[in-house]
Amino acid sequence: MSYQIVVCGGIAPDPLQTLEPVPGPALKNEMMLPHVFDPWAAHALYEAGHLAKLNPGAKVWVVSMAPKAKLQQVMMTVAQKLPFELVPLDGPPGGFTDSADVAEALAAAIRTIAGLDLSRLLLFGGWESATRGAGTTMQRVGALLGITEQFLAVDQLEVRDGGSLRVWERLEGGRQQVSLCSGLPAMLAWATGHLPEPPNHPPTGMANGRLLMPALQKAKPAPAGAGCTFLDVSLPKQIRQTVIVKDKPAAEIAREIVEWITQ
Amino acid sequence: MILVILETPISKAGLESLCCATKLGDTLTVGLVGAAAQEAANSIGGCGARFLAVEGEPYSVSRYATDAAAAEALIRASGAALAIAPCTHRWQRALPGVAQRVGGAIDTHAVDISPGSVRRWYYRQRIEVTLARAATPWIILREPGSGDPWQGVPAQATVERLDVTPPATRTQVEGIEAQAASQQTIRPDAALLFVAGAGWTKKQKDGAVRTSEASELILQFVNRTGASLGSSKSLVDQSGEGQAVLPFLTHLHQVGQTGSTPRHRKGLASCCHGEEPHVVGWRFVNERRAINLDPNCGWARGKADVLYVADAFEVLREAAKALGQPGAD
Amino acid sequence: MNLDADILCVGFGPAMGGFLTTLTRGLSEEGLESAAMPGLPPQVICYERADDISFGVSGVVTRARAIRASFPEFDPDAVPMAAPVTSESLVYLLDPHGASRRPAMLRAADGILKIAAEHGAIELPYIPGFLQKHDGFVLSIGQFNQWAGQQVLMSGLAQIWPSAPVSAPLIEEGRVSGVVLAADGAGVRGALTVVGDGPYGAAGRRLDEEFGLPEGHVRDEWAVGMKLVIELPEDTTLAPGTVIHTFGYPEPEIFGFFYTHPDRIASAGIFVPSWLENPVRTAYRYLQHFIQHPYLWRYVRGGRMKSWGAKSLLESGRRGEPFLAGDGYARIGEGSGSTNVLTGSGVDEAWLTGTQLAEAVLVLLREKKPFTRENLEATYVARRRTSWLERENLVAEKARNGFARGVIQGFLGMALAGFTRGRLHWPSGDVKRRTLKEYYSGRLSPHRIVEIQKQCAAAGISLHDALMDACGWPAIQYDGQLLVTHQDALLMGGKVQAPAGAEDHVLFRDAVLCEECRQRTCIEMCSGQAIHAGETKVPAFEREKCVHCGACLWNCPGNNIAFAAGPGGFHSAEN
Repeated sequence: MSYQIVVCGGIAPDPLQTLEPVPGPALKNEMMLPHVFDPWAAHALYEAGHLAKLNPGAKVWVVSMAPKAKLQQVMMTVAQKLPFELVPLDGPPGGFTDSADVAEALAAAIRTIAGLDLSRLLLFGGWESATRGAGTTMQRVGALLGITEQFLAVDQLEVRDGGSLRVWERLEGGRQQVSLCSGLPAMLAWATGHLPEPPNHPPTGMANGRLLMPALQKAKPAPAGAGCTFLDVSLPKQIRQTVIVKDKPAAEIAREIVEWITQ
Repeated sequence: MILVILETPISKAGLESLCCATKLGDTLTVGLVGAAAQEAANSIGGCGARFLAVEGEPYSVSRYATDAAAAEALIRASGAALAIAPCTHRWQRALPGVAQRVGGAIDTHAVDISPGSVRRWYYRQRIEVTLARAATPWIILREPGSGDPWQGVPAQATVERLDVTPPATRTQVEGIEAQAASQQTIRPDAALLFVAGAGWTKKQKDGAVRTSEASELILQFVNRTGASLGSSKSLVDQSGEGQAVLPFLTHLHQVGQTGSTPRHRKGLASCCHGEEPHVVGWRFVNERRAINLDPNCGWARGKADVLYVADAFEVLREAAKALGQPGAD
Repeated sequence: MNLDADILCVGFGPAMGGFLTTLTRGLSEEGLESAAMPGLPPQVICYERADDISFGVSGVVTRARAIRASFPEFDPDAVPMAAPVTSESLVYLLDPHGASRRPAMLRAADGILKIAAEHGAIELPYIPGFLQKHDGFVLSIGQFNQWAGQQVLMSGLAQIWPSAPVSAPLIEEGRVSGVVLAADGAGVRGALTVVGDGPYGAAGRRLDEEFGLPEGHVRDEWAVGMKLVIELPEDTTLAPGTVIHTFGYPEPEIFGFFYTHPDRIASAGIFVPSWLENPVRTAYRYLQHFIQHPYLWRYVRGGRMKSWGAKSLLESGRRGEPFLAGDGYARIGEGSGSTNVLTGSGVDEAWLTGTQLAEAVLVLLREKKPFTRENLEATYVARRRTSWLERENLVAEKARNGFARGVIQGFLGMALAGFTRGRLHWPSGDVKRRTLKEYYSGRLSPHRIVEIQKQCAAAGISLHDALMDACGWPAIQYDGQLLVTHQDALLMGGKVQAPAGAEDHVLFRDAVLCEECRQRTCIEMCSGQAIHAGETKVPAFEREKCVHCGACLWNCPGNNIAFAAGPGGFHSAEN
């Protein structure tokens, strides 16, 4: 089946240990930090790429909203992993924007994709962003596009003969709900999936690059607000007084630990 | 007015949300979604709320289309400016789309709700934020485990049933798959979370890699203590790279950045070096200890209550002896 | 020949920044046509090994003459961490612990200087003109690269692909016809290959193997630069643009730097040179002692490590210059011998070489001339030879000769060359490789050294800490903020990228040589502790800890380490 898969995903600073909020709120030096494609969305992208590979004629679009210059940098790496067409939106950085605004922008961008049949759409994304970490954007995009079959924290997708989808969603306590979806359109917000990160393949990058560069140059500004008032933004400050136990025989440590566990 | 959206039967997470809502000092409506609502309503009848329900077979399962239709009807019928639900998979899947439909705002993973504000985490659980919103209805999903459950008395409740035509859906729920073995995933009910770090698979003091012994010791320990097993991302990731790894670990064990943030009462980290287990992974674990060879590990210091500078292989070998009952494996 | 692109570039650093900035401006102005894809502008593709173009950690003070020529309106506010130099000092650091290895003459001088010293250091009243950077900028090369790279990308006239290592140039019938990608071994063909992958880049080294070096040229002087980015305490008195150059401590051969960026950020680092005779040459431990020197500690105490990183520098300067151009290729940047070893300046020089090549390429494209050795020499090399780069590098060429004979001779040699504008210089000599016994002679008995070696071998740890402790270096009091363990620095100062499935890029060629080696400098100097004692006598390598500093390559006394083009490395947090 010639799937039309749209993957929504932003970018996230990585490594994260130097994050420090500043009034705005924003992150101090966020644009200086190295960034990656949002790790949750990346899982969705790898699954999309895999599905497209198995189904000739399938096509993957990535709709991404981030500051254009940084998005461009990140995309030069992502584009080497699998074939896709980028639909970039030049939006604000970071996680302090509201999912309503982001979803509006993403849905509007998806509607403008030439040749996309919304009634056959497979909408993919991460189940949360690594920045806002709310897990609300994809459902909003789905709602805006009128998609009533939605799945969250997807671990596995099985495409069955006849085009129906069997979906495993991750529940609390490590259980999984299994559902059968008889047809498209559908929205799948992925948890980790099962696929490793594809290795870079420079020729794929070059092939993607032909459309990537002009698309980025033409990326439209997509304003997004916070939608709320931030009363306080801070790094957690609890520092524990760590007791360091050195030079104690293993047997004694083991006894102490067992005692502590059984208390 | 506050609406609390709960599924039937009411879970512990649901009772926690209810408890939280009762403390906000506003009139309360409970909206129930499920096969049948009366019994559930009675079980919390003492909370003094108005009870609305969307009930019937289509609403007995967790599914976006039906859950969203039910929740939308409850929000509209209640006229509530604030709706609270537990941040479980079911409501996290359904309510953002509902927020879109009703033109409202939504916040998830709330760890504290006060009149007019919400506290939650951003940036992979590294930044704490308190925020307020003017938009209504405001839907807040409250993180399970972040407060006490409601403990009032049951009472006969009057339930107003909303007539919601089940929406057309192409999704059929086939069932729930629980992992067969108890150690296949993080179990929130365990008293102890044991986190295995990448150090277990590294070269040991004698220069050898002893993965199979590591597997044995870890499984033995978690089985005998009844602990739930967690792992760091770096260790789980190695399985994708074809390295010698602990064969029973999957992404479901992962704590930290792209894993879970468990809320066990006690946590014991072993051979973990780095921020994921220490900073992010066990933020909500109350009592924390760590076994690490490096006394200067900046990651355990300030994050754990006790850091044992020792060889985890030796400690777990000794712990196995102390725990005894080899037959209990 | 079927071309995949017109111009293929290897490595994105300051030199490539200069090249692509100048080239893309020219391409956009002139409407030149691609030979690879007729009808389109010339296709320019740059492959960068690391995961990002702002990858490495790198604070620098530069006069930025060439950079400002490219950006006459250069506004440091536009580039994160950039600031104009506001003050500059050259400081001799005395050894507060008496643990460093100082020649007797220096020790005697220290005794006298101590009387005049403040904070254990002497600020020199005058900085020789050839060392001054007062009209320049303090920059982060990572941020500057990113700023320059983003502009190149936005031009749409060049593609820069990160995490795409080039394993070698594609050499066919004596000419370079493109590059070989490490990912799949595929060849990509282009009319011109621009090699700017630094002094230890795989493509550049392969060219040296294939074509040799010009007569008399040699690449035998190196240094590993290791740096911390520090958030200074809130009550810091240091103004952005403060530049401190140091020498004398933690060992007399180790130069240090301290630059203040805007927003209470400082870069502090040291260069551990190849002429430091100590075979257990751990930059990390030395770096910790360096920042704790009373002269600097008063500024950084209470600060926090924001970032960390390391990189090798080629210190041979013009003496290490390879053939700058050949049929189908040209070399730019540090790997082309552009660094000025007298002034300690390399970034601006590298940028200049890139702009010179770009100007040359535009001339050749305009005139529709092929990229032959003759044409590139007549355009690029000629430009380089008549520029300030060549003039100043000739002055510097022999400035460091003295260091091969001793640290005092080294300093005198630099002064001699600097003040006579290169007319006089110290006679050259060979750098001696000392054994542990020789290096510690007079301080640790051979018996004690053997004892320490045995203890460390039994514990499976490297020697350097134990030897330094034994010589009187105080133990590091870790605070978890600024003074952290080496492994914590790898985690807190950034993130080692080691993509799944990639092969080890550090390989020990001949097991017999490793088995016979007593020095094992590779283990002792490894900037990430990625090389350690293995189960056999051949050291073990952990890719997950390798920061790609390249120091093992030139530190191996037997030249027995192969350093292939591999993806990943250390992604410094804020550089």
